[in-house]
Amino acid sequence: MNTEKYKHIEDNQLLEKFYADKDNEWLGILLQRYTLLLLGVCMKYLKNEEEAKDCVQQVFLKAITELHKYKVDYFKSWLYMVAKNHCLMKLRGKGKQPTEINERLLATPDDVEDKKRHLEKDSTLNNMEIALQQLNPEQLQCVTLFYLEKKSYQEISQDTSFSLLQIKSHIQNGKRNLKIMLDRLNKNEH
Amino acid sequence: MNTDLKDILSNSNKDIDNQKLMDYLTNELSKSASHEVEENMADDDFLNDAVEGLQEIKSTKNMEAYVEQLNLDLQKQTAKNKKRKEKRRFKDQPYTYLTIAILLILIIICFVVIKKHLDAKRVTNPPVAENTRKPNLD
Repeated sequence: MNTEKYKHIEDNQLLEKFYADKDNEWLGILLQRYTLLLLGVCMKYLKNEEEAKDCVQQVFLKAITELHKYKVDYFKSWLYMVAKNHCLMKLRGKGKQPTEINERLLATPDDVEDKKRHLEKDSTLNNMEIALQQLNPEQLQCVTLFYLEKKSYQEISQDTSFSLLQIKSHIQNGKRNLKIMLDRLNKNEH
Repeated sequence: MNTDLKDILSNSNKDIDNQKLMDYLTNELSKSASHEVEENMADDDFLNDAVEGLQEIKSTKNMEAYVEQLNLDLQKQTAKNKKRKEKRRFKDQPYTYLTIAILLILIIICFVVIKKHLDAKRVTNPPVAENTRKPNLD
Protein backbone atom coordinates (compact mmCIF):
# COMPACT_ATOMS: atom_id res chain seq x y z
CA MET A 1 0.00 0.00 0.00
CA ASN A 2 1.58 3.25 -1.06
CA THR A 3 0.68 5.72 1.67
CA GLU A 4 2.77 8.54 0.17
CA LYS A 5 0.28 9.19 -2.60
CA TYR A 6 -2.47 9.69 -0.03
CA LYS A 7 -0.40 12.10 2.05
CA HIS A 8 -2.33 15.14 0.83
CA ILE A 9 -5.68 13.65 1.81
CA GLU A 10 -6.99 14.79 5.19
CA ASP A 11 -8.10 12.30 7.82
CA ASN A 12 -11.77 13.19 7.51
CA GLN A 13 -11.61 12.85 3.71
CA LEU A 14 -10.19 9.34 4.08
CA LEU A 15 -12.96 8.56 6.54
CA GLU A 16 -15.55 9.84 4.08
CA LYS A 17 -14.07 7.62 1.39
CA PHE A 18 -14.32 4.67 3.76
CA TYR A 19 -17.93 5.45 4.63
CA ALA A 20 -18.73 5.72 0.92
CA ASP A 21 -17.43 2.31 -0.16
CA LYS A 22 -16.68 0.52 3.15
CA ASP A 23 -13.27 -0.42 1.83
CA ASN A 24 -10.96 -1.16 4.75
CA GLU A 25 -7.97 -0.08 2.72
CA TRP A 26 -8.87 3.55 3.51
CA LEU A 27 -8.81 2.72 7.19
CA GLY A 28 -5.44 1.07 6.72
CA ILE A 29 -4.02 4.27 5.26
CA LEU A 30 -5.60 6.35 7.98
CA LEU A 31 -4.55 4.18 10.90
CA GLN A 32 -0.97 3.93 9.65
CA ARG A 33 -0.64 7.66 10.25
CA TYR A 34 -1.11 7.02 13.94
CA THR A 35 0.92 3.84 14.46
CA LEU A 36 3.80 5.68 16.13
CA LEU A 37 1.54 7.75 18.34
CA LEU A 38 -0.49 4.70 19.33
CA LEU A 39 2.68 2.79 20.15
CA GLY A 40 3.72 5.68 22.38
CA VAL A 41 0.39 5.86 24.18
CA CYS A 42 0.29 2.09 24.76
CA MET A 43 3.90 2.18 25.95
CA LYS A 44 3.13 5.00 28.36
CA TYR A 45 0.44 2.99 30.09
CA LEU A 46 1.70 -0.58 29.78
CA LYS A 47 5.45 0.07 30.24
CA ASN A 48 6.35 -3.00 28.20
CA GLU A 49 7.39 -2.95 24.56
CA GLU A 50 5.88 -6.31 23.55
CA GLU A 51 2.61 -5.63 25.35
CA ALA A 52 2.44 -2.17 23.81
CA LYS A 53 2.91 -3.67 20.34
CA ASP A 54 0.12 -6.21 20.91
CA CYS A 55 -2.06 -3.47 22.31
CA VAL A 56 -1.63 -1.34 19.17
CA GLN A 57 -2.75 -4.32 17.05
CA GLN A 58 -5.81 -4.74 19.25
CA VAL A 59 -6.58 -1.03 18.97
CA PHE A 60 -6.34 -1.30 15.16
CA LEU A 61 -8.78 -4.22 15.17
CA LYS A 62 -11.13 -2.44 17.52
CA ALA A 63 -11.03 0.73 15.44
CA ILE A 64 -11.76 -1.18 12.22
CA THR A 65 -14.68 -3.00 13.82
CA GLU A 66 -16.15 0.07 15.49
CA LEU A 67 -15.86 2.31 12.44
CA HIS A 68 -18.06 -0.14 10.54
CA LYS A 69 -20.74 0.31 13.20
CA TYR A 70 -20.98 4.08 13.58
CA LYS A 71 -19.81 7.37 12.17
CA VAL A 72 -16.91 9.17 13.77
CA ASP A 73 -16.44 12.91 13.28
CA TYR A 74 -13.17 13.66 15.06
CA PHE A 75 -11.04 10.69 14.18
CA LYS A 76 -7.86 11.66 16.02
CA SER A 77 -9.50 12.34 19.39
CA TRP A 78 -11.69 9.28 18.97
CA LEU A 79 -8.70 7.03 18.25
CA TYR A 80 -6.86 8.44 21.25
CA MET A 81 -9.85 7.70 23.43
CA VAL A 82 -10.11 4.13 22.08
CA ALA A 83 -6.39 3.51 22.71
CA LYS A 84 -6.40 5.04 26.15
CA ASN A 85 -9.52 3.17 27.25
CA HIS A 86 -8.08 -0.08 25.91
CA CYS A 87 -4.87 0.42 27.89
CA LEU A 88 -6.77 1.32 31.06
CA MET A 89 -8.95 -1.76 30.62
CA LYS A 90 -5.83 -3.91 30.28
CA LEU A 91 -4.35 -2.39 33.40
CA ARG A 92 -7.57 -2.97 35.29
CA GLY A 93 -7.55 -6.58 34.10
CA LYS A 94 -4.07 -6.95 35.51
CA GLY A 95 -5.18 -5.48 38.81
CA LYS A 96 -3.03 -2.39 38.36
CA GLN A 97 -4.55 0.98 39.00
CA PRO A 98 -4.51 3.37 36.06
CA THR A 99 -1.80 5.94 36.58
CA GLU A 100 -3.81 8.89 35.36
CA ILE A 101 -7.22 10.37 35.97
CA ASN A 102 -9.53 10.16 33.00
CA GLU A 103 -10.27 13.88 33.08
CA ARG A 104 -8.20 14.79 30.04
CA LEU A 105 -10.35 12.52 27.86
CA LEU A 106 -12.91 15.25 27.98
CA ALA A 107 -10.76 17.48 25.82
CA THR A 108 -12.71 17.66 22.60
CA PRO A 109 -12.59 20.01 19.65
CA ASP A 110 -14.96 22.22 21.64
CA ASP A 111 -11.90 23.19 23.58
CA VAL A 112 -10.39 24.57 20.40
CA GLU A 113 -13.53 26.56 19.69
CA ASP A 114 -13.40 28.06 23.17
CA LYS A 115 -9.83 29.17 22.63
CA LYS A 116 -10.69 30.69 19.25
CA ARG A 117 -13.52 32.59 20.85
CA HIS A 118 -11.12 34.01 23.43
CA LEU A 119 -8.60 35.02 20.80
CA GLU A 120 -11.16 36.91 18.79
CA LYS A 121 -11.85 39.33 21.62
CA ASP A 122 -9.73 42.45 21.80
CA SER A 123 -9.98 42.66 25.54
CA THR A 124 -8.55 39.17 25.86
CA LEU A 125 -4.94 40.33 25.73
CA ASN A 126 -5.43 42.74 28.64
CA ASN A 127 -7.28 40.09 30.58
CA MET A 128 -4.56 37.63 29.77
CA GLU A 129 -1.94 39.81 31.43
CA ILE A 130 -4.14 40.04 34.51
CA ALA A 131 -4.82 36.29 34.50
CA LEU A 132 -1.17 35.44 34.02
CA GLN A 133 -0.27 37.24 37.24
CA GLN A 134 -2.83 35.14 39.11
CA LEU A 135 -1.15 31.83 38.25
CA ASN A 136 0.89 30.15 40.96
CA PRO A 137 4.64 30.92 40.76
CA GLU A 138 5.59 27.55 39.22
CA GLN A 139 2.95 27.75 36.50
CA LEU A 140 3.73 31.39 35.79
CA GLN A 141 7.44 30.63 35.47
CA CYS A 142 6.95 27.65 33.14
CA VAL A 143 4.28 29.33 30.96
CA THR A 144 6.39 32.48 30.60
CA LEU A 145 9.59 30.62 29.77
CA PHE A 146 7.82 28.30 27.31
CA TYR A 147 5.43 30.62 25.48
CA LEU A 148 6.97 34.05 25.85
CA GLU A 149 10.66 33.23 25.89
CA LYS A 150 10.22 30.24 23.52
CA LYS A 151 12.42 27.97 25.59
CA SER A 152 12.30 24.20 25.15
CA TYR A 153 11.41 21.80 27.98
CA GLN A 154 15.07 20.90 28.29
CA GLU A 155 16.15 24.52 28.64
CA ILE A 156 13.42 25.24 31.18
CA SER A 157 14.55 22.22 33.12
CA GLN A 158 18.11 23.56 33.14
CA ASP A 159 16.97 27.06 34.18
CA THR A 160 14.70 25.81 36.93
CA SER A 161 14.83 22.86 39.27
CA PHE A 162 11.79 21.21 37.67
CA SER A 163 11.81 17.81 35.95
CA LEU A 164 10.47 17.49 32.39
CA LEU A 165 7.24 15.95 33.67
CA GLN A 166 6.74 18.76 36.17
CA ILE A 167 7.32 21.34 33.43
CA LYS A 168 4.73 19.72 31.15
CA SER A 169 2.27 19.54 33.99
CA HIS A 170 2.84 23.20 35.02
CA ILE A 171 2.37 24.34 31.41
CA GLN A 172 -0.79 22.32 30.89
CA ASN A 173 -2.31 23.25 34.22
CA GLY A 174 -1.26 26.86 33.70
CA LYS A 175 -3.01 26.97 30.34
CA ARG A 176 -6.14 25.41 31.79
CA ASN A 177 -6.19 27.90 34.67
CA LEU A 178 -5.63 30.81 32.30
CA LYS A 179 -8.63 29.71 30.28
CA ILE A 180 -10.81 29.47 33.38
CA MET A 181 -9.69 32.90 34.59
CA LEU A 182 -10.26 34.44 31.15
CA ASP A 183 -13.77 32.99 31.09
CA ARG A 184 -14.41 34.56 34.47
CA LEU A 185 -12.95 37.95 33.47
CA ASN A 186 -14.89 38.00 30.19
CA LYS A 187 -18.12 37.17 32.03
CA ASN A 188 -17.50 40.03 34.48
CA GLU A 189 -17.14 42.44 31.54
CA HIS A 190 -20.70 41.72 30.34
CA MET B 1 4.86 40.71 24.59
CA ASN B 2 1.22 41.22 23.67
CA THR B 3 1.45 39.19 20.49
CA ASP B 4 3.29 36.40 22.28
CA LEU B 5 0.51 36.22 24.81
CA LYS B 6 -1.75 35.06 22.02
CA ASP B 7 0.48 32.01 21.56
CA ILE B 8 -0.61 30.68 24.91
CA LEU B 9 -4.18 30.23 23.80
CA SER B 10 -3.71 29.62 20.12
CA ASN B 11 -3.93 25.94 19.32
CA SER B 12 -1.18 24.76 17.05
CA ASN B 13 -3.37 22.29 15.24
CA LYS B 14 -0.72 21.34 12.75
CA ASP B 15 -0.10 17.61 13.00
CA ILE B 16 3.47 16.64 13.58
CA ASP B 17 4.62 14.07 11.05
CA ASN B 18 6.24 10.85 12.20
CA GLN B 19 9.69 11.73 10.91
CA LYS B 20 9.72 14.99 12.82
CA LEU B 21 8.60 13.19 15.93
CA MET B 22 11.37 10.61 15.52
CA ASP B 23 13.89 13.43 15.06
CA TYR B 24 12.58 15.11 18.19
CA LEU B 25 12.96 11.89 20.16
CA THR B 26 16.56 11.50 18.97
CA ASN B 27 17.36 15.19 19.62
CA GLU B 28 18.04 15.86 15.97
CA LEU B 29 15.78 18.87 15.64
CA SER B 30 16.79 22.52 15.77
CA LYS B 31 15.85 24.58 18.81
CA SER B 32 12.87 26.20 17.09
CA ALA B 33 11.63 22.94 15.60
CA SER B 34 11.85 21.26 19.01
CA HIS B 35 9.90 24.12 20.50
CA GLU B 36 7.25 23.68 17.82
CA VAL B 37 6.87 19.98 18.71
CA GLU B 38 6.63 20.88 22.38
CA GLU B 39 4.00 23.52 21.69
CA ASN B 40 1.99 20.85 19.92
CA MET B 41 2.49 18.55 22.87
CA ALA B 42 1.09 21.18 25.22
CA ASP B 43 -2.04 21.39 23.05
CA ASP B 44 -2.44 17.76 22.16
CA ASP B 45 -2.80 15.13 24.88
CA PHE B 46 -2.48 12.34 22.32
CA LEU B 47 0.92 13.60 21.18
CA ASN B 48 2.00 14.34 24.72
CA ASP B 49 1.18 10.83 25.98
CA ALA B 50 2.78 9.31 22.89
CA VAL B 51 6.06 11.19 23.41
CA GLU B 52 6.14 10.19 27.07
CA GLY B 53 5.64 6.55 26.08
CA LEU B 54 8.06 6.58 23.16
CA GLN B 55 10.78 8.03 25.39
CA GLU B 56 10.56 4.82 27.39
CA ILE B 57 11.39 2.60 24.41
CA LYS B 58 15.02 1.58 24.75
CA SER B 59 16.24 2.21 21.23
CA THR B 60 15.00 4.15 18.23
CA LYS B 61 15.82 1.15 16.03
CA ASN B 62 13.36 -0.94 18.04
CA MET B 63 10.78 1.79 17.67
CA GLU B 64 11.16 1.92 13.89
CA ALA B 65 11.05 -1.89 13.65
CA TYR B 66 7.88 -2.06 15.74
CA VAL B 67 6.16 0.59 13.63
CA GLU B 68 7.17 -1.16 10.40
CA GLN B 69 5.93 -4.52 11.69
CA LEU B 70 2.66 -3.05 12.93
CA ASN B 71 2.06 -1.29 9.60
CA LEU B 72 2.74 -4.51 7.68
CA ASP B 73 0.29 -6.43 9.86
CA LEU B 74 -2.27 -3.68 9.42
CA GLN B 75 -1.86 -3.80 5.63
CA LYS B 76 -2.35 -7.58 5.70
CA GLN B 77 -5.40 -7.19 7.88
CA THR B 78 -7.08 -4.60 5.67
CA ALA B 79 -6.10 -6.45 2.45
CA LYS B 80 -7.48 -9.73 3.86
CA ASN B 81 -10.80 -8.08 4.55
CA LYS B 82 -10.78 -6.61 1.05
CA LYS B 83 -10.07 -10.01 -0.54
CA ARG B 84 -12.82 -11.59 1.52
CA LYS B 85 -15.18 -8.85 0.38
CA GLU B 86 -14.21 -9.34 -3.26
CA LYS B 87 -14.57 -13.10 -2.95
CA ARG B 88 -17.99 -12.60 -1.50
CA ARG B 89 -18.85 -10.32 -4.40
CA PHE B 90 -17.77 -13.00 -6.91
CA LYS B 91 -19.55 -15.67 -4.94
CA ASP B 92 -22.72 -13.63 -4.92
CA GLN B 93 -22.70 -13.13 -8.66
CA PRO B 94 -23.28 -16.80 -9.75
CA TYR B 95 -26.59 -16.72 -7.91
CA THR B 96 -27.71 -13.85 -10.08
CA TYR B 97 -26.65 -15.71 -13.22
CA LEU B 98 -28.27 -18.91 -11.95
CA THR B 99 -31.54 -17.12 -11.31
CA ILE B 100 -31.51 -15.62 -14.81
CA ALA B 101 -30.74 -19.06 -16.33
CA ILE B 102 -33.54 -20.73 -14.36
CA LEU B 103 -35.97 -18.03 -15.48
CA LEU B 104 -34.94 -18.50 -19.12
CA ILE B 105 -35.31 -22.30 -18.87
CA LEU B 106 -38.75 -21.84 -17.30
CA ILE B 107 -39.82 -19.52 -20.13
CA ILE B 108 -38.58 -22.05 -22.75
CA ILE B 109 -40.36 -24.92 -20.98
CA CYS B 110 -43.56 -22.88 -20.82
CA PHE B 111 -43.24 -22.07 -24.52
CA VAL B 112 -42.72 -25.75 -25.44
CA VAL B 113 -45.59 -26.93 -23.22
CA ILE B 114 -48.01 -24.34 -24.59
CA LYS B 115 -46.93 -25.10 -28.18
CA LYS B 116 -47.40 -28.86 -27.67
CA HIS B 117 -50.76 -28.26 -26.09
CA LEU B 118 -51.87 -26.13 -29.04
CA ASP B 119 -50.56 -28.74 -31.54
CA ALA B 120 -52.43 -31.51 -29.77
CA LYS B 121 -55.61 -29.47 -29.92
CA ARG B 122 -55.14 -28.96 -33.64
CA VAL B 123 -54.78 -32.78 -34.19
CA THR B 124 -57.90 -33.74 -32.25
CA ASN B 125 -60.01 -30.96 -33.80
CA PRO B 126 -58.74 -30.62 -37.39
CA PRO B 127 -60.08 -27.71 -39.41
CA VAL B 128 -63.28 -28.87 -41.21
CA ALA B 129 -64.01 -26.19 -43.77
CA GLU B 130 -62.00 -27.62 -46.74
CA ASN B 131 -62.93 -31.35 -46.21
CA THR B 132 -66.65 -30.76 -46.11
CA ARG B 133 -66.75 -28.92 -49.45
CA LYS B 134 -68.37 -31.10 -52.14
CA PRO B 135 -66.26 -31.75 -55.26
CA ASN B 136 -67.45 -30.06 -58.38
CA LEU B 137 -68.46 -32.86 -60.78
CA ASP B 138 -69.13 -30.67 -63.76
